Amino acid sequence: MRKLLLLTLLIAVPASAQLPGLRRRDAPPPAPVQNPIELLRAAFAAQAGGTTVYFAPGSAQLTPAARTLLVNQAMWLRQHPEVAVRIEGHGDPTDTRNHALALGAERAAEARNYLILLGLPAAQVSAMTWGKERPGPPSAVTTLVPPALGSAPLVPAAR
Amino acid sequence: MKTIALGAFALLITAATSGAPATALQPGQPAATVIALPPMTSPDKGAEGNQSLAYAWQATQLIEADLRQTAELMPLEPNRKDYYSYPEVTAPTFSKWRDKGAKGLITGFVQQRSDGRLAIGCYIYDVEKGRELGRTGFVVAKDDLRRAAHKCSGLAYKEITGSPGMFDTRIAYVAETGPANARVKRIAVMDSDGYSHNYVTPGGTTVLTPRLSPKAHRLTYVSFQSGLPQVQIVNLDNGHQQPLLQGPAMSFAPRYSPDGSRIVFSMMLGANSDIYVVGENGGMPRRLTTSPGIDTDPSYSPDGSQIVFESDRSGSQQLYVMNADGSNERRITFTTAAYGAPEWSPDGKLIAFTWRFGDTRRIGIIKPDGTGERILTRGPADEGPSWAASSRELVFQRAEGNGRPAIYRVSLDGSAPRKMTIPQDGSDPNWSGTMD
Repeated sequence: MRKLLLLTLLIAVPASAQLPGLRRRDAPPPAPVQNPIELLRAAFAAQAGGTTVYFAPGSAQLTPAARTLLVNQAMWLRQHPEVAVRIEGHGDPTDTRNHALALGAERAAEARNYLILLGLPAAQVSAMTWGKERPGPPSAVTTLVPPALGSAPLVPAAR
Repeated sequence: MKTIALGAFALLITAATSGAPATALQPGQPAATVIALPPMTSPDKGAEGNQSLAYAWQATQLIEADLRQTAELMPLEPNRKDYYSYPEVTAPTFSKWRDKGAKGLITGFVQQRSDGRLAIGCYIYDVEKGRELGRTGFVVAKDDLRRAAHKCSGLAYKEITGSPGMFDTRIAYVAETGPANARVKRIAVMDSDGYSHNYVTPGGTTVLTPRLSPKAHRLTYVSFQSGLPQVQIVNLDNGHQQPLLQGPAMSFAPRYSPDGSRIVFSMMLGANSDIYVVGENGGMPRRLTTSPGIDTDPSYSPDGSQIVFESDRSGSQQLYVMNADGSNERRITFTTAAYGAPEWSPDGKLIAFTWRFGDTRRIGIIKPDGTGERILTRGPADEGPSWAASSRELVFQRAEGNGRPAIYRVSLDGSAPRKMTIPQDGSDPNWSGTMD
């Protein structure tokens, strides 16, 4: 019953990461490259120890485990000031729709406030809520899915 | 969308309805009232007369279908042998219908006009007392015959039950398609009989909680277009859309005031969700609640003087009522269950809500003073009730066994909920008042 609330950290896409189609003619064929965003995300998830912060049902209070994870995330983000992240809050799936929306927003705000308390610039961390409109990410892989269509990153990549 | 030209019928509306509403037909009795519904007739002659009779038969069948949807009225099947002549429409024989157990009678006619439109008249009678209860008439385009028939059904329902009918109303809901992990959600609006189904938003953006204005010409909903949930307003007559507020705050749970001039909604400031009210055209929102908990899902009483909402300030979600200016907050639910998503009934007598205990969600009703709580559905995943204009029926969302959401309606009389037919999955339905 601990499946509850997840906060997903999404790494906003740095706009100039790649110029598709530009390749010097005499260059060797490129090794299969992973998208640099994917690499960043993977590094963040691995080095911060995870991207998902859990809450007790109905609660927006950070648990000790949640704080530990957020501290690790803050350390990584301090070393990567060019990476803006977005915290997506989720409500409890059996909750009513609008309460879930508000609870997800509270949870995202709590996590964001804690990261800022740890010294991150406010502009590096944005927060939003999905309420119960999106299934919570069951694994670190899905936590790194890019923002859905129509939901642009709130804070532009820092550059 | 088209607006019906309900040109009232000077010709016909000569006598005003007399006496009190005919609730007297069956005082306080739950059983359905039997209604005689002979085929509508026409004063037209010849080939044109045959065509008019075809329209009249269509209207009769529409009214029969309307009445059959209700728990309160039970139409006798229209029989072609019972055709009245045009003069008999206003001077029907009652004994024949008394013998069939009918307590109410609907007669009417359709006449073709030289401008290509149809004149429709209908008359409601109390069979036992042998007197007229009401009459109405319209001149409409042929395409609007359906809505004119709904208006006749609505008059019959109102005269016989004392409550406004819900036949000429709209239902808005969230149409859902695609796999569970990538749902496409669009706001859809349809007439309550399922016709005129339209999608209001294109589907690229997650949308939530459509709420129609009282006469169903406008709609407010929540869109994630900006990346945050924010309240939008759309004019259904011309398609114009605009955000309710400027600025980056999360806003959600919007509902119209009974006069359609204001929107009451929730807004997050920091980590706190409170209830605000603002004019439909924006401006500076006025804050109504200040508790540190989550206050959301506000809904006005029909006279606009009070607002019911849910709050978890006590530690669990419960229902509260306050004056429309935010004063005099009082809690009305006190059990260990959670109560959310309240909506005040159009007659002001009841509040519908989502009841939650553990993982089970059901639909319930309670009086505004906190007494008379009753659970209407069994769940396990029912939520988001919205009242019919009659205040005798609710539409709500039910997750089916396969987890997919569908839209059901349930009557307060204790009968089983019925699934509504829509083109795809649907959630979060909202039922409007009667249209102009």
